[in-house]
Parts: sequence; C-alpha cells; structure tokens
Amino acid sequence: MADETFDAVIIGSGAGGAPIAHALVRAGKRVLVLEKGPLFHAQHTSPDGLSDFKRDEEFATGAEKVLRVPGVANTGVSFYSSHVEPDLNDEPHVYREKDGRDLATIEGYTAQVVGGGTQLYGGVSLRFAPDDFRLCTVNQGRADLRDDPNGDVAREARDWPFGYDELEPWYCVAEDLVGINGTRDGQLKPASADHYQKPLEPNSISSHVAVGMDALGLRRYRTPLAVITEDHLPSGRTVPLDRESIKTAFVNRYGDPLGLKSNTWVSLLHPISTEPGFELRANCAVTHLSATDSRVTAVHYRDPLGRSRTVSGTVVVVACSAIESVRLLHLSAELDPAFGQRINGNDLLGRYFLTHCFGGASARVPGRHDKSRTLDSDWATDACAAPEFVRANNLWAGGAIYNNTSDSALPISMARTWAANDMDTMWKGYLYDLDMRGDGFDGYLNENFGRQLSVAFMANQVPLPTNRITLHPSVRDKWNRPVAHIDKGWHSHDVAVMTVLAEQCRRILAAGGDGVQVIGHGHVGNDVRRIANHVLGGARFGSDPRDSVLDPDCRAWRFDNLYVTDGSFMPTSGGANPTLTIQANAFRVGDLLTTRV
Amino acid sequence: MPVVQVPRDDQYVLNHTTRFLARDVGEVAEPFHLPVVDTHWDGASAEVSYRFNDVTFVHRDDQAREVGVVGTFGELHTPVPLRQVRFLGEPTGLWAVTVRVGKGQVHRYRFAVDGRSVLDPVNPQRQRCDNGREWSRFFTHGCAVPISFDRWELRLLDRLVTQVLPFQLAENRRFLDDFYHRLSRSERDRQFPLAFLMDESVGVVNFIDKLLAREERHNLDDYKTCLRLIDGVLRARFPGREPAELGRQAFMDLYDELAANAVPGWDTGQYGEPRYFLVLLRRHAMTGAFAHPKHGGNNGAAAWAYLAERFEFDWRSALEAPLGRNTDYRG
Repeated sequence: MADETFDAVIIGSGAGGAPIAHALVRAGKRVLVLEKGPLFHAQHTSPDGLSDFKRDEEFATGAEKVLRVPGVANTGVSFYSSHVEPDLNDEPHVYREKDGRDLATIEGYTAQVVGGGTQLYGGVSLRFAPDDFRLCTVNQGRADLRDDPNGDVAREARDWPFGYDELEPWYCVAEDLVGINGTRDGQLKPASADHYQKPLEPNSISSHVAVGMDALGLRRYRTPLAVITEDHLPSGRTVPLDRESIKTAFVNRYGDPLGLKSNTWVSLLHPISTEPGFELRANCAVTHLSATDSRVTAVHYRDPLGRSRTVSGTVVVVACSAIESVRLLHLSAELDPAFGQRINGNDLLGRYFLTHCFGGASARVPGRHDKSRTLDSDWATDACAAPEFVRANNLWAGGAIYNNTSDSALPISMARTWAANDMDTMWKGYLYDLDMRGDGFDGYLNENFGRQLSVAFMANQVPLPTNRITLHPSVRDKWNRPVAHIDKGWHSHDVAVMTVLAEQCRRILAAGGDGVQVIGHGHVGNDVRRIANHVLGGARFGSDPRDSVLDPDCRAWRFDNLYVTDGSFMPTSGGANPTLTIQANAFRVGDLLTTRV
Repeated sequence: MPVVQVPRDDQYVLNHTTRFLARDVGEVAEPFHLPVVDTHWDGASAEVSYRFNDVTFVHRDDQAREVGVVGTFGELHTPVPLRQVRFLGEPTGLWAVTVRVGKGQVHRYRFAVDGRSVLDPVNPQRQRCDNGREWSRFFTHGCAVPISFDRWELRLLDRLVTQVLPFQLAENRRFLDDFYHRLSRSERDRQFPLAFLMDESVGVVNFIDKLLAREERHNLDDYKTCLRLIDGVLRARFPGREPAELGRQAFMDLYDELAANAVPGWDTGQYGEPRYFLVLLRRHAMTGAFAHPKHGGNNGAAAWAYLAERFEFDWRSALEAPLGRNTDYRG
C-alpha cells in the first residue's frame, strides 16, 4: 500500500507533465506532481520577491567541475554545467563513442528544476509540419533517397497514429495557454486559431537573414517564441512597462527571473497552484514504479532528504525527459520481471531513441549590432520543410530553418563557445587559441563582438533500432541505481539531410547583403556525442502493439494506468524544435485523462 | 550590531541544498554552495537592498534538539537559532536560518549544536585564528579582501593577467584611466578598496582569489605552485629585481614560453605542463573580467563599460539597479 493516493501522479513538471497537471486540476482532479529538481521561482511567484534565476553568465555555464565517475574513459576531464543541471558525478549520462569507449557527457540533460527544459530553452515554439506525422506514407515506394542503399528509411519510417489535423486543436490550446509571440503568415502549418502575441522588433542584425531569405524566395515569418510580449490572461502574467526591456541576451540556457519566458512553471503550474487539487513536490526523485498485473500500484520516490516514500495514482504519468523516463521504466523492470515483461515484452523500450538532424551556418556581418537586446530568434522559414523541396532534394523529410540572435551575444558566452561544438567542448577553442592575447584579444573582440550571425536547421533523424537507451552495466548514480547508457549514431541519409540543409543555411547568409562573410557551415553528422537537449523517442507510440511501446493515447500497451508523455513517445523527431509538440500532445492526453480518473 | 534575520521559507532551503546533500552513496556534491549567499531584497528599495546579501546557514542533524550559529557577522557569544526545516509537516533533520549580511565581507562562524560548538561539516572553507582555533568561513558578493593569495602572489598574478586581457593596449588603457577618473573619490574607495590591483586587470585577480577559495578550490594548488615557480624563474633571470615590478616585455616573453610549454628554468618536476597553467589562467581572466561584478572581478562593471564604449553593448538595460538601470529585475 502506498502512503497516499491521488487521481494522478505525474513524474516531471516540464513540457510533457505540466499540461496534463493543468488539464486535470482545472477539471477538479487531485494531482501530485513529483519533480526531481528544485522549485526555482520567478520574482512574481516567489514569497520573497526574488528569483532563483539570475542574469549572470556564471549561471548558464559556471565554474569548472571535474568528472570523477569511475569506469568511464573521460574521468578527470573538466565540465561546465548550468546551475540546474545535475552534478555529473551524481548522475552521469554515459554514451558509447564510435571506438566503443564509454564516456560521460553533459549533453542530453534538459534541466532538473520545476519546469524542466522549458526553464532553459530558447523558447522556439514551432509546430511540426503536416508531413512530419506521415513519413512512412510519404516515403513508400521511393527509390530516390540519397545515401540509403538498403532502403532503411522506408523500412524504419513510421506514421504517427494520428495526423496533423488531429493534433491541430491542441497546438492552439498550447499556444494560448503557454504564451507565445510570433507571426502566422508564411508558415507551412495551417492553424485554426491565432493565439500569438505580437512580436517585438527584431534585432537589427537579423535584417541580413530577412534579406537572404527574401533573395532566395523563402517565405519567412517571425519565429514563434515562448516569451510573452503582452499581458497574458491565462497565466495572469504581466509585462514590464518598457516592453523593449523584455529583450535581453539572457535567454537560451538562462531561467528568466521575470517569468516572461513561458516555462511550464509560470505558464501552467503556478496558475493552478492555489487550487485545492494541486500538489507539487519538488526535490523528490522517483526511483521506480511497482505494479500488480496491469496496474501501477506505487510510485517510489526519495523525499528531499532522501527518505523513501510511496504514492499511488489512479493514473501514473511518466514525463521526466526521454532518457530519464526510459531509464525509470528500465529500472522498474529490473526490479520486477513481470513489470519488465509488460513494458518491454517486444524489446522496444529504449529503442528508436532520437534527437535531431542539426546544423547550420554562421557569418560575420559588416556592421555592428547590439546583440544584448534580443530574444533567441527572429526569423524562420518552412521552405525546406515543403514537400516539393524534400522531393527535389531526394530527402525523406525536411526541416525548419531559423536564425539565432542570442548566441555569442554576451562576452563570456562568445568566448566559451568559440570553436566549441557542444557542451562537452565548451571553452576548448578559446582557451587553446593562445595567440588571442593583448591586441590579439582586442582584434578578436573587434572582429566578432556584435557581428556574429548564425542560421540553424532542425530536421528529422531517421529512427533506428540500434539507437537506444539501456541501463549501464556498472556506472551508478547517487542512489546507487544504474545510469542511462546511450547508443546513438547517424544514418548515412541523416548526413545527406544535414548536408543539404546546412547548404541552405549557408546560402541564406551568403545572400544576406554586401559584406556578409560566411565563416562556416556544417552539421553534427560526424559526432555521435552531440545528443543535444532534444531527447526524443525510446518509448514510441503507435497503432500496433508489436511495433510500439505506447498506444495512441500514450498509455503503455499492457498497462491500464501508465502513461508516458515527454518526448519519448515520438516515433519520428519532427522537423522543428520539439517542445510545443510535446506540450500539445500532453494537452491532448490530459483531456483524455479527465474522463479516466 | 544586532543580526537581522530574513524570512526565507523551508522550500527555499530545500531548493538550494538538498540535491547536494541527499544521497545513498558518494560525498556531498558541490559543497561550496553552503552557506547559501544570495540576493537581498527589502521589499522596497533597490539601492538599500543592493548593499546586502542574504546568507542562509544550513546544518543537518537528525538528533539535535537545538542548533544555533555564532559568527563575526553577529555577536560572537549570542547564537542565532536555526529552525527545523519541514517537509510534508515532518522534520527533515535540516536546520536553517537566513540572516542579512553586508556585501564585500568575509566572516567566520561555527554552529552550536545542543551547546557543542562544531564546524560546518559541509562547507570546505575554513580559517584558523591566531589562537589556533579553526572556524568555518564565508564571504559575500563583491568581496575584495584577499583570501587565497598573499600580497606578492596577487601582484605577480596581476601582471600575468594583463597579458591575457586587452587593457594593456594604449587606447584601452586610456579608457580605463578615464573610467576610473570619472568616479568620485568615495565611489572609487567603495568600489576599489584594492586599487593597486584595479588597473589593467579590472579586478580579475580578486575574482580568481575568490573562485579558488570556493568553487574551484581544486585549482588552488596549481596557482600556488606555478606562481612560486614563476617567481623563481623571474628572479633568476633578473637578479635583484622584484618580479612584479619588471617591465612589460618580461611578461610578454613569459607568456610565449608558457604557451610553448617550454619555460627556461622551470622545474617540471614540480609542475609538468606550464601551458596547462596558462590555459587555466586564460579561462579565469576572461571570466573574471566579464562576469557579473558580484563575483569579485569586472570591478565597477569596467569591462562591460569598455565593451559599451568600444562597441555596442547595452548591458545596463538588463541588469538590476543600481548597478544597471533595470528596475523590474532585482538581481
């Protein structure tokens, strides 16, 4: 028997969990949200008027820490993490390098805090394109795909169990309740309602991207960003008198002290926090689930001081980011073979782990712009997600392209990301460029500060059964549980997708006006380490229980009351940042659950 | 002066401590987070609030009946009582209290547990008094009191740091001169109590001094060893001269030698990779120059002001008043 019971117990408070809590509490249900991380407040939600997030570059990537995890090949390396990422020594993610060595990485965490990854993300809130939901169908019979000699794409592509039209109303709900600014005109994604708030003036440096997109005939729109620019009725948030002051470079990788970035705490959970049916327990790490036959009967967690406690729910929702959700289910299976048989009888749990095909181009612009007044992105285009483009380039799927404005906007971030590829190579470029000193340093600032502009793409990764999350055989976390072990590689067609889209990004910048100097373009296709924070798949949903972990309602096939609603449900990763789709789907599931509890 | 207590709730204490403390295996993670030094807000005035920090002392003891803290931030013989921190209405074994402490200060403290005086078992910062008694130590934001280094080390470090930063260039030095001269005398004294360190390194040395006392204690030995070796190398090269007083060229040469990982006269038995020290110094110099001034460098936001003057960088609009001019964000 569990210590307490609720209508729903939701594990994780980010994009996959918070919308369900919101829907159920609004329907009068009793909901407990368990969150491993702390409840870090925005100023307006805080009892003392202060936020736990700061406009301070040391919060995004702080002091050096040293990896001390035994049994991995990179023990002893330095790492630099955000204040809401775990100490890697307490809970490492271990991935297998191409040469077979195991390495711990800071990649692949969203954030351990109430609000999850939505606290740190750049807020890019694109919908997926209609074809992203039917990649099996649109690729049947095609023999023209680049670098796919064995027909892997047609074999592994999956349609979602429903199409764009079925999710569309939930996109509208999410856009309304979360609070997003942007423009609709020019998008490839039809919308039945426009809940966008008015975007702020773009940063002046972005005009080069607008010019480039126009020159190439790519329809553009203002990138939808989860930052409010007007008072937001659903969450009760208000904006500062000087709306231009909303733009600061403390966006991507920073929690927002003013709560204007629409993380799930300020947009969805805080507004229900005074309802009698809502309870949030932060600093509580769920260790495993236990079940009797097809019912999950107890959620076992450690309270803030590590004491073991249990709760039960009429339904249990797992939504603690794909890697950790899959790991939690594997851990539960390890303790109870019957649980394992139910959740992983078809050996699919953890398989088809996905991130995104990702890359872009960067340039130096002739003039200088104050990038300290910005949000994360100004312009986006769906031109390379259009079926005609995808076909013409012999690709299986396309993706969104948008410019970044907050990158390299602040002096320390510009230095620590100089020639760095990812979180693990932070600082390496700048530090070893030993000629950058004195006037060399001055020249570096003069050449780059306020002059760097980048354009990125986000595209579908081919799902592969060999890309998977398992439990590591020997490395353990601070609760003495096996940590996640990640196998991930790129299909040759992924590299083709990335090459084509990186070239498009390069062309946009090259056409961006006189004096724009493209300094690089490329992608992550030669790097298995790059897991990024877009962790998806591993518990995919589908219509066939032999081919999926979850049913179309995101319920585990052989359980009555177990749901998984973070990005792990996705059978394909979509041609855009995933958060809005995770939120829309979670609102959909939340609505279903109001009739089931 | 009586201690001013600040009401921070139990959720705050749990949020800022338990993920480091609670575990089945391994040692406390990131123990430097204790005591928690945070922004102060009096509910009314940014100017007044800016002068203080909130410092939250946390002690874990399941068995104690009462816990207090005594320290130089208050009256040394009158413990400030810690309260029991609760979760779901039950005691957690954590005790906590938050007090207001002025910025720029270093203090020592001990806990009083059921009348016994104990060191803070988590916070690795310690300080031994002249009478031999050991205390736990903390410092608040913008602290300019040297902690990790002796004066000669600070002066030598200052010369090394200027090799990395752009402020040795003529036009940038002019900027710094102008910047400091524009400040009133009292403002200069308030912001730059260690003026001898504030010229071309804009407080970086002080930033490093604080970083090595807390977050990056693991790098302190590297600095101690390498500064001693550099001092020896320079004394051997320039007999009878004080290394920190040498001309610019001596330090430019030394930088090149460190970069080449070949410093004539360097004892590799004591420190194998001189270049590694340079890389460490480069990261610390860059961070110290441009990080928020509360970390001890970027004094008076001089490095940001330099970026704003040379380029375009409106740092003031995002940052808390009175440092910046944003009155919505409280720091």
